[in-house]
Amino acid sequence: MSDAVVELEGVWKVFGDRAPQAMEAIRTEGLGKPEVLERFGAVVGVKDASFKVAEGEIFCLMGLSGSGKSTLVRHINRLIEPTAGTIRILGEDIGAMKADALRAVRAEKIGMVFQNMALLPHRSVRDNIGFALELRGMDAYHRSQLADKALETVSLHGYGDRLPSELSGGMQQRVGLARALAADPEILLMDEPFSALDPLIRRNLQDEFLSLSANLKKTTVFITHDLDEAIRMGDRIGIMKDGEIVQIGTAEDIVTAPADDYVADFVAGISRLKLVSAAKIMVSKDQHEAKHGPIDLGLEHPVAHPEDDLDTLVELSTHSDHPVLIKADEAILGIVDKNTLLHGIQGSANA
Amino acid sequence: MSTATTNLSGAETRDVSDRDVAVGTFVTEGERYYAPAFEDIQKRETPFWRLNLWALLIPWFWAAYRGLWLLFWVALAVDVLAIVCLLQIIKYSPLLAEAEINASANATLVARYTSWLQVFTTTGLVVLIAGRLWLGHVANHWYYRQYSRWRINSETPSGISMKRVVIGAVIMALVMPLTFYRATQQRLDDRACLNQLRAGEQVEGLYSVYGVASPDALLPLMQSQADELTTRRATLDALDELTDAQKSERSRLRSEARQLDRSIGTVEDYQQITARDRFDCGFIDDFPTLARLDPPESVTYRRVPDEAAIANGEVGATMLLRNVKDPVEGRKVSIFTYTAESIDISINYLRASYATFFDTMTSILRQSLIRVEVAFMETPWPVVAFLFLVLSWAYTDRATTVFVASSLVFLAVFELWQIAMQTMALVVVATAICVFVGLPVGIWMAKNKYFRWFTEPVLDVMQTIPSLSYLVPAVAFFGISQPPAVLATVVFAIPPMVKLTALGILQVPESTKEAALAFGASDRQLLRKVELPMAVPSIMAGLNQTIMLALSMATISAFIGAAGLGALVTESLGDAQAGKGLLAGIAIALVAMMIDRILRGVRASFSRI
Repeated sequence: MSDAVVELEGVWKVFGDRAPQAMEAIRTEGLGKPEVLERFGAVVGVKDASFKVAEGEIFCLMGLSGSGKSTLVRHINRLIEPTAGTIRILGEDIGAMKADALRAVRAEKIGMVFQNMALLPHRSVRDNIGFALELRGMDAYHRSQLADKALETVSLHGYGDRLPSELSGGMQQRVGLARALAADPEILLMDEPFSALDPLIRRNLQDEFLSLSANLKKTTVFITHDLDEAIRMGDRIGIMKDGEIVQIGTAEDIVTAPADDYVADFVAGISRLKLVSAAKIMVSKDQHEAKHGPIDLGLEHPVAHPEDDLDTLVELSTHSDHPVLIKADEAILGIVDKNTLLHGIQGSANA
Repeated sequence: MSTATTNLSGAETRDVSDRDVAVGTFVTEGERYYAPAFEDIQKRETPFWRLNLWALLIPWFWAAYRGLWLLFWVALAVDVLAIVCLLQIIKYSPLLAEAEINASANATLVARYTSWLQVFTTTGLVVLIAGRLWLGHVANHWYYRQYSRWRINSETPSGISMKRVVIGAVIMALVMPLTFYRATQQRLDDRACLNQLRAGEQVEGLYSVYGVASPDALLPLMQSQADELTTRRATLDALDELTDAQKSERSRLRSEARQLDRSIGTVEDYQQITARDRFDCGFIDDFPTLARLDPPESVTYRRVPDEAAIANGEVGATMLLRNVKDPVEGRKVSIFTYTAESIDISINYLRASYATFFDTMTSILRQSLIRVEVAFMETPWPVVAFLFLVLSWAYTDRATTVFVASSLVFLAVFELWQIAMQTMALVVVATAICVFVGLPVGIWMAKNKYFRWFTEPVLDVMQTIPSLSYLVPAVAFFGISQPPAVLATVVFAIPPMVKLTALGILQVPESTKEAALAFGASDRQLLRKVELPMAVPSIMAGLNQTIMLALSMATISAFIGAAGLGALVTESLGDAQAGKGLLAGIAIALVAMMIDRILRGVRASFSRI
């Protein structure tokens, strides 16, 4: 519990003039979204969201537009006030903070990257990056040193004196990232940071961010509407639908065990080769032998670990006619033959 | 559209509830005619001779029936125009007949009336016939356009409805009879109407004297009084010797009788005013405001030294003196006059009660003006000219610098330099006030929507109200010459400053503000570091406009004695010296353009967005 850097508990957001009454009615009468809209003219933006993000973890919130993910992430730095629920940052309840303390947390503990960059057009790149530091009253000398360091981190060395409008979209988003990193915050909030970029640059920036993240170990909440991106970036993924988090888990969990039809639909088109491990699809030795007869262990069976992904199994399988033995510490945990493997790739196996 | 096959073979059998083949639903009646007509319009194959007979013969009825209100109003306008022209025949024929009784003496009149009758007759007929033909021609096209709109928005009037015909009839009943009546009548001139009005007022006064309420009751009373006077005078006349008292009595009786005679004449005149004339004057010509009010108490306020307090040792103590004038007997005023006089009294009261405040403001304005004027006028002209040139050289291109240089030469050669500097001083002070007041107000306006709702109409009024109409109160409060001129200029020139400041701040993207907040900006930091810098281009545009407007007020404020180029213009207006006025006007324009060009350059080089 204490190692959770960001922690949300039962967070609700109801938009509208009569939000408190609507919230009360939801509590006591268990109203659904349509009834709330009809009776109170209020819109439920976030519905009972709870999750924790551990230190250094990248937590992806994934959902289609209008699913409430951007609304939810703005609760973490209280750009939006929750109607109900608590949010703790580094163990502190951010909802209970006074304005001053809140501004300090925003400036020092949380960096945020926006989909549309939201750079200040009248300030140089360096002044943009040093913005949070300037707000905290840091002098220009130290500010520009830190800004230059941040620029280097995002490989934009030497662009400090340009105006944002002189930079390409990808570069602007690097500036956005550098701005978020400049104050060396513990937490990064990334609101669809790469969605507005073209695919090539997006992939580029994703890779760079991953390697950056591996070094800096920032606790990150990453918003995206792209499942591929979520899988690439996220240690864990939360899938949102209509303001509700419908499933939280690792990419593999979500792909192999979708919580409902909606998630299943979502992950249907995802390549499982790199996501699913042997342990998820293997059948036990007894089961296998019941179907295909006893296995002759004297033959040259390829061997794999339970954590190996399907890609590895395919590689092993193509070089042998025999089923793959899944072994850990010399004990045979299970067996994967070619049919099992193909089903596993297809996603219709015993998963 | 599949109307081609359906309307020829089976219009009735078509399912008209389907909106996609909906001409039938739209027209409801007469689909067999309109479906092919609309199709021809779509194909642009409407033959030129195809006229909508209903729209040709009874356009208003057809249009109202089908909800085509545009055509209804156009048809109404065409018909009213045509009929009014034709009705002139009724108006002028009797005049012509009257003139022809003595044709030789009234030759010009006869010729005039004959030609007028001809013109009106032809115009009326042409408008009627051509208008109707045109209506018959466009009717289907307009109806088709309405149909297209209806397909997008089902709220558009469609189908047929007797209710709409009734509405149309009511509209025509409201518009036509009075218009036609007015068109047939010789207009009573304004003086006749005014006399009528006055007679009415006098008669009303007599009612209250005699305690009756109709001229018929009034006349016998007055007549008997007159008779009595006559008898009394006759008895006096019958005497051979008259005492002095009797003499004066006689002359008094005589003058009273004269007055009574006059009043009787008035009442008789009043009685003879026909109902029709009364209707023409009191109702048709003008809005019948009949309200006549007692005038507001005529009060004046004056601040005088308070002798009692001064005697008690209070130095310079003053008191408010309230002076009420006796009302004029029986004076009644209209609502307009009543309000205007009340405003006068309030202004008078405010000026007298807050004399210290207004005097202080006037002197602050005067002092700052004097300082700035001194700065402009005492600085040797080469220095000022040099500064102008340096500014334009630094911030604008070469062509502009040449323009500025030639403008300066113009001012110098025509010996307008000092006067122009006076104008500049006025503009500078007014602009400074505009900025110091306008910027905060603009910011507040951007931040508070209720304040914005309140301020926006106020600003619009400030910009549109004729400046001459608030120069008068400005003079009342601040005396004449420069100070009220500065204030009037501020009132006129401040709206763009306020509006564009607010606009610039409101235009800052929500996402940018959100980002600043996410990095821990306070409200003040948000304003100072994000909103104001991003609003700078807009604010500068506002400043520019403010300066231009301030310059354009220079002439107006010369009416209340402000010195400068404007005074030259007003002077030349008084003396009908066109050349002088033109030169001064050009000088104002040049000063404005110089400032504008230089400011534009400054703006461009400072604005980084």
